[in-house]
Amino acid sequence: MPEVASEVEKALREKFGDNIVEYRAVLPQRIFVKVRREVVRQVAEEVKRLGFDMPVSAGATDYPDRKVFEAFWIVWSSRFNVVLVLKTDVDREKPEVDSLVGVWKGAQKFERETWELMGIDFKGHPKLRRLLLPEDWDYEKEGYPLRKDFSLKPYER
Amino acid sequence: MSVAIEEVEELKGGLMKVRIGVQHPISGQGTIVVTTDGEIVYEIDVDIGYSHRGIEKILENRTFLQGIVPMERMVMLDTAHVTMAYVRAIEELMGVEAPPRAQYIRTIILEMNRLISHTYAFGLLAESTGWFPAVFLWTTGDREPFLDLMEMLTGARWSYSFIVPGGVRADLPQGFKEKAKEAIRYMRSRLDLYVDAWLDNALFEIRTKGVGVLPRDKAIEWGAAGPNLRASGVPYDTRKNEPYAAYEEMDFKIALETAGDAYARAAVRIQEMYTSLDIIEQALDNMPPGPVRVSVPQRVPPGEVYARVESARGELGVYLVSDGKDKPYRVKISAPSFRNFFVMEMLPTIQEVKFADVPVIYMSLDPWFLDADR
Repeated sequence: MPEVASEVEKALREKFGDNIVEYRAVLPQRIFVKVRREVVRQVAEEVKRLGFDMPVSAGATDYPDRKVFEAFWIVWSSRFNVVLVLKTDVDREKPEVDSLVGVWKGAQKFERETWELMGIDFKGHPKLRRLLLPEDWDYEKEGYPLRKDFSLKPYER
Repeated sequence: MSVAIEEVEELKGGLMKVRIGVQHPISGQGTIVVTTDGEIVYEIDVDIGYSHRGIEKILENRTFLQGIVPMERMVMLDTAHVTMAYVRAIEELMGVEAPPRAQYIRTIILEMNRLISHTYAFGLLAESTGWFPAVFLWTTGDREPFLDLMEMLTGARWSYSFIVPGGVRADLPQGFKEKAKEAIRYMRSRLDLYVDAWLDNALFEIRTKGVGVLPRDKAIEWGAAGPNLRASGVPYDTRKNEPYAAYEEMDFKIALETAGDAYARAAVRIQEMYTSLDIIEQALDNMPPGPVRVSVPQRVPPGEVYARVESARGELGVYLVSDGKDKPYRVKISAPSFRNFFVMEMLPTIQEVKFADVPVIYMSLDPWFLDADR
């Protein structure tokens, strides 16, 4: 496993240089990579080429203090049995990021859910439609449920 | 399976849209929208969200220990695995490890949950083929000894909140081992019967072989989870790939099939039930002495972690971000059913699916609406 982590790091740093913001290998089987938003699609393609072929999850974390959403995709490699978490910062004012459905098909439903609950627009996503919320959910009035400024107070009894 | 066809709508070009659901098509509230061209399924669209409880948001407002209770509402048949994933994430961040005896007790609960869930799934699959309406009653009856054991151990048949950071809530009660062994003996004989009566039955084979074939490369590309992935020939089992609880010390093999059809998925589940019985037996026999719980800090150090366990329906992942307070900053639950529903939607794109096979495909993939909704 240590070899996989350093190999992936070398390959990514060589190709993308400063666009790799953070690279961390923890435990025996985890890699956390943070990249700039502009190159997320290219990095994803490279990561897939390196052997991380199975999408496991995707989502986003809200950081109002830093004024960003941190979008993440979690993928698994059937070759190395290692999980890689690919992250990128998305501007909170203009939440747009490239969809990675073209790279990992299975991320489709996860991105759709994130679009709905966090309000991030995934560019190039084939099916951005309501999934979990009621059809008459009013974002103007009620907001995005997973954002930090969404309060559970009105729903408490 | 009785299918409530709520609405039949004629579309242009002879296509017809049939909505199966909302009321409990089999497990939880949800709708399967099937667009058909006569008998051939043109498109499947799974409409989830009818029981969305916002568990991820609720968890952000509960302390780590309180969070276990809403967390396990995610999927009732398989509650131990859900809590295990969350507890594994918390323990990893804390750097705490549960004592060996607790790990063994966890293993027993987890495997019993897998049995409870798989018997249910297999019964429903056999019923959905249309030939065996009584199977579901049999399998439901057969998991009863294990539900009794869960009650004996935890005080509840479902949703026990038994696995906690640092261990488990209580030690094994007196007489548990004997009763468990009896249940294992009984279940083994019943599993032999399942194989004879259904798995080796020509009628069952006709309805399941070659139905809903999921090739290996597609299974990986679409992110199939659990028995569905293993039935397509991918040897992926978190219990082996990334052992937790006491799985490292257990002797077992990953159940594997290569055909990728509904029959292979049923066969994988049957194999896994045998494996579960073996694991429970090993854990009971080799139970180490000692405490079952260690104290853990109230606060969790800042950091991020992705923890996964192999639940009955597949890999269940928890991505947890902590900012050092007593509550999690963000919890992302990656549910196996959420992934398997996507597989179900994609199946008609690579092969001809017949409308009559939709229930079989659905039950053989064994996704749960409650699990996917969270």
